[in-house]
Amino acid sequence: MVINGITLNKIRENLWEIPQTNGMRVPGRIYISQEMLESTLSEDEALKQVMNVAHLPGIEKYSLAMPDIHWGYGFPIGGVAATNLDEGVISPGGVGYDINCGVRLAVTSLTFDEIQPKLESLITKLFQNIPTGVGASGAIKKLSKADLKKILEKGSVWAVENDLGTQSDIQFTEESGTLKNADFSVVSERALERGADQAGTLGSGNHFLEVDVVEEIYDAKVAEVFGLFPNQIVIQIHTGSRGLGYQVCDDYLKVLLKASEKYGFKLPDKQLACAPIKSQEGQDYLAAMQAAANFAWNNRQVIMHLAKKSFMEVFGIKESDLGFHLVYDVCHNIAKIEKHRIGNEVKEVCVHRKGATRAFPPGSDMIPAKYKSVGQPVLIPGDMGRYSYVAVGTEKAMEETFGSSCHGAGRNLSRHKAMKEAKGRDLISELKKKGIIIQAKGYKTIAEEMPAAYKDVASVVDVMHKEGITKKVAKLKPVGVIKG
Amino acid sequence: MASKHKYISHTADIAFEIEADSLEELFGEAFRVWLISIVELSDFETDSSIDIEIKVDSLEQLLVDFLNEVNFLLLVRKILCVSVEKIRIDEKSFSLFARMKYQRLSEKTELKEEIKSVTYHQMEILNSNGKYKAKVVFDI
Repeated sequence: MVINGITLNKIRENLWEIPQTNGMRVPGRIYISQEMLESTLSEDEALKQVMNVAHLPGIEKYSLAMPDIHWGYGFPIGGVAATNLDEGVISPGGVGYDINCGVRLAVTSLTFDEIQPKLESLITKLFQNIPTGVGASGAIKKLSKADLKKILEKGSVWAVENDLGTQSDIQFTEESGTLKNADFSVVSERALERGADQAGTLGSGNHFLEVDVVEEIYDAKVAEVFGLFPNQIVIQIHTGSRGLGYQVCDDYLKVLLKASEKYGFKLPDKQLACAPIKSQEGQDYLAAMQAAANFAWNNRQVIMHLAKKSFMEVFGIKESDLGFHLVYDVCHNIAKIEKHRIGNEVKEVCVHRKGATRAFPPGSDMIPAKYKSVGQPVLIPGDMGRYSYVAVGTEKAMEETFGSSCHGAGRNLSRHKAMKEAKGRDLISELKKKGIIIQAKGYKTIAEEMPAAYKDVASVVDVMHKEGITKKVAKLKPVGVIKG
Repeated sequence: MASKHKYISHTADIAFEIEADSLEELFGEAFRVWLISIVELSDFETDSSIDIEIKVDSLEQLLVDFLNEVNFLLLVRKILCVSVEKIRIDEKSFSLFARMKYQRLSEKTELKEEIKSVTYHQMEILNSNGKYKAKVVFDI
């Protein structure tokens, strides 16, 4: 099949390969249905970006893309690439500006029927307590440089040490909420300045906090291990490292553009600027990116704490009666050093996940002991009008995708087109009729993020499910949303 | 004014093609597409100005850095640059001096978007037949 001038060979029902051609060091592989391939990728540059990523020095096996693939810069969104540590490179283009953008899922012991009478008050309280919108700040006191240093080095452990969470929260966060080689000294003053008052803020764009009800369970055994039951009230938090992460990416793009020239890399896109992982430039970016990732984990931890307090205030109940606990926190914009089997050997590689979620299998040493028998929770938010999914990682993900899966629905309409579609409509009332209360800083965000702006996340999740990369566990339906 | 811009459809972000008769006008037009992406245009009243000086390694980086600088001033220092009062660009040394009119961000100013950064994606400044062209993609 030829899409947008690019030849794709069908490997399986939902797996397509772009053959290795000029300058590509490996072939490209995309997990997607034929229907989605034809309907969503015929006009943009995402497939070309899969080919571009295959040019990276030291890339192993394939330049991969998940079914929520769409046009990014450098890497496509939904792109995954592993580079070896010998001659391989690290690229901020494989991580994105919002370093450690991710999702966390927390559950309560409340059911929908119990919260329904006070749902509007709950959403108002969440909106009051959690700063949202452009440049949102002031969720907690402005951080001193000493506190910022601790957050950058300790991640969400800082929040727990400051009574903004529990030990259990740390246990159920990817990497226990801290990447250990983070280095404060390689983060610029500008990045620190951008982050100083943004801990505990959602920001704008596609970031959100959602109150959901567990609508359907697909795998009762796994759902029980994750602590999910039908009609249960849960929350999802989607945000990242805010201005601090954006600035780290921006700072290091400049460094790595120079490095790419210095090391003689011929790259098809400036946004793929990179440096050998072992080089000073590569190590500095890795350490700064880890610091930003730690900031993001702390951010989601603080937001979750503010959300928990909001529930307790609105329903007038004690923490012990709320049954609030974190199921898991995953990052979907990150580069991590991990061990993977390549051919006959287990190698350490740098796995770039740009809009892709880690999906480790049962038995992995990298997941909480409680989940070892079933695998890692994989959190896949959809749009604010339909549903989101909880899935679980598999051994096949380790074999084929460096333990990675999709991260969301992926946009269907540009923001511009979404605004046009929304003209003359009252989206707040439309959502309310569907039983969803929304509060946002501005109507523009609601319009840009309207449900129709996104692909149906069910079709994305089904591709991963059918291919055995992740297995569906539960479907969540939104009943309340706060946005920037 | 011999500069113009065209919105390009991009699924996730904001992208523009810009064209001008000179580099200075090209940078000025790039600033204007940043501004219209951030706020609704109105009659900004201000006598305040701020100077921006940048020296880098390429023209493309100069444009990215210039836009990122006004973005940083807005998001961190709460300074909304509203127009270019003066701009000088040295193509050989990749350096820029710009005097920007600004107003302080107030509670009343409604910002439409948070631009995370100006990207290097498809960034190339072309000069053909006396016209300068560039593509600007904002990550939002």
